[in-house]
Amino acid sequence: MLDEDEAEEMNETILELKDLHYYYPDGTHALKEINLKIRKGEVTALLGSNGAGKSTLFHHLNGIVKPSSGVVFFNEQPVNYSRKGLLDLRQSVGMVFQDPDSQLFSASVYQDVSFGALNLQLPEEEVRSRVERALERTGIAHLRNKPTHALSFGQKKRVAIAGVLAMEPQILVLDEPTAGLDPKGISEILKLLKETQQEMDLTILIATHDIDIVPLFCDYVFVMDEGEICLEGTCEEVFAQKEALRRVNLRLPRVGHLMEILANKDDFELDRIPMTISGARRELKKWRGRNNT
Amino acid sequence: MLNTDTYAYASQLKAIDPMQKFIIAILTMGVSLWADNRLISITIIMIMSGITIIRGGTPLTFFLKLMSIPMVFLIIGALTIAIGFSAKQQSFIIAIPLADFWLGITQTGLQQSIDLFLRALGSVSCLYFLALSTPMVDLFSVLRKLRLPKLMIEMMGLIYRFIFVLLETAGTIFTAQSSRLGYVNLVSGYRSMGSLVSTLFIRAYKRSNELYTSLEARGYDGEIRVLEEPHVGNKSLLAIAVGMNGILIFLAMALR
Repeated sequence: MLDEDEAEEMNETILELKDLHYYYPDGTHALKEINLKIRKGEVTALLGSNGAGKSTLFHHLNGIVKPSSGVVFFNEQPVNYSRKGLLDLRQSVGMVFQDPDSQLFSASVYQDVSFGALNLQLPEEEVRSRVERALERTGIAHLRNKPTHALSFGQKKRVAIAGVLAMEPQILVLDEPTAGLDPKGISEILKLLKETQQEMDLTILIATHDIDIVPLFCDYVFVMDEGEICLEGTCEEVFAQKEALRRVNLRLPRVGHLMEILANKDDFELDRIPMTISGARRELKKWRGRNNT
Repeated sequence: MLNTDTYAYASQLKAIDPMQKFIIAILTMGVSLWADNRLISITIIMIMSGITIIRGGTPLTFFLKLMSIPMVFLIIGALTIAIGFSAKQQSFIIAIPLADFWLGITQTGLQQSIDLFLRALGSVSCLYFLALSTPMVDLFSVLRKLRLPKLMIEMMGLIYRFIFVLLETAGTIFTAQSSRLGYVNLVSGYRSMGSLVSTLFIRAYKRSNELYTSLEARGYDGEIRVLEEPHVGNKSLLAIAVGMNGILIFLAMALR
């Protein structure tokens, strides 16, 4: 825990949104006064119920959408919306969309993965080696000759991730990375992301409403509701405010909920309410140790 | 059509440079059309089917089924050439009287129709060789090398990719409608089909927007550039094909 705290303080901000507002063309105030900082090397979660504005916010991060007012900073520089500026930004901020069928445009896995890297005007040799590395890393090297439409949903998701990793971004932004996957698929994708993050020194930002993965996977959390950031902090800080979470149609992780009931209603004396299975196990063992002596 | 692509992906000839396969198919087809000789046509049918089935590994039953598709047109076409009218009965092999005329099959008509039938089947076998050994994506790369306009190839690629998504979406909607008795009678069937088509259109429109956004996120600037996987070039195969066609041309000349 201590190590993480120290690391956090050392980390610099890589992406920042400042006083950002966004109105849809029909006048809906979609994002209101958004202020957030993403620190380098961390995994940050953007939690929010359906329609909270997560996707709209994400579209600001690589310049797909221009804010109505406010500024997006990348590496402390305001984003330059010229053609060249956007290309640089999109190389650094890789975005994986929710539905891989909307992202994969080619019937060939290999060709699809090469697309982004090729747009960076790199020499062909470099592109080829990047594609190879991305295929290896995402564990889909054996699918390279398969047509896209013959893949399973989870495999398509990996191809979508590989296509972005081949651009070797600094930040990987994923919209609902676990949506539509089976339990095994979810844990595999999370493992893949964690490994990639360490090996490529990535910063990861995910939008999700899969609350149970957040304490396992994320260092920092922003909670969104109706276009506003209503809570932020480490997992521990955010999940300590369970009433605030419930107000925005979210909840505690299942394990956290159970431990909270045990602590509040069944007189288990716990030092803290753990949010993960391993944390719960530790607390319960500690509790047993105290009660046995 | 979608089925052939599945077999093309499974073919053992898939790894071969698509340009070479394209040249072999077109060259042999040209010879078959030019030679106009039933012996040559039969040889070509045997060779091309043999390569596709034995070397490529396409199941025989599927190949025969595929061959039977053009058969209907070929038989009808051949029959119309074989059958003729005449006032004299002598010119026919078999004939039936029809008022003042005779309707029947002449010797030359029969010869011609058999030649035509085999010639067409020979060309079809060449095309099937290509279709069953070369996935669509590889054919696009051939078209690219033949300097077809880029926009056209991009469009073909996107259409091919999204046919499957469209079919899947249509299938899902159809199942959902059927399970609520949407096709229980003709009237509701028409109504359901109408809403299926309009929903499909709206979904396709939405998806194209999403696709554009995600392409943009990967640096799309108006042109879709991709790298193709390197293919196994096999010069000897091309040489064999050219040699084979040379022999066929020589034979055709000799037989004339």
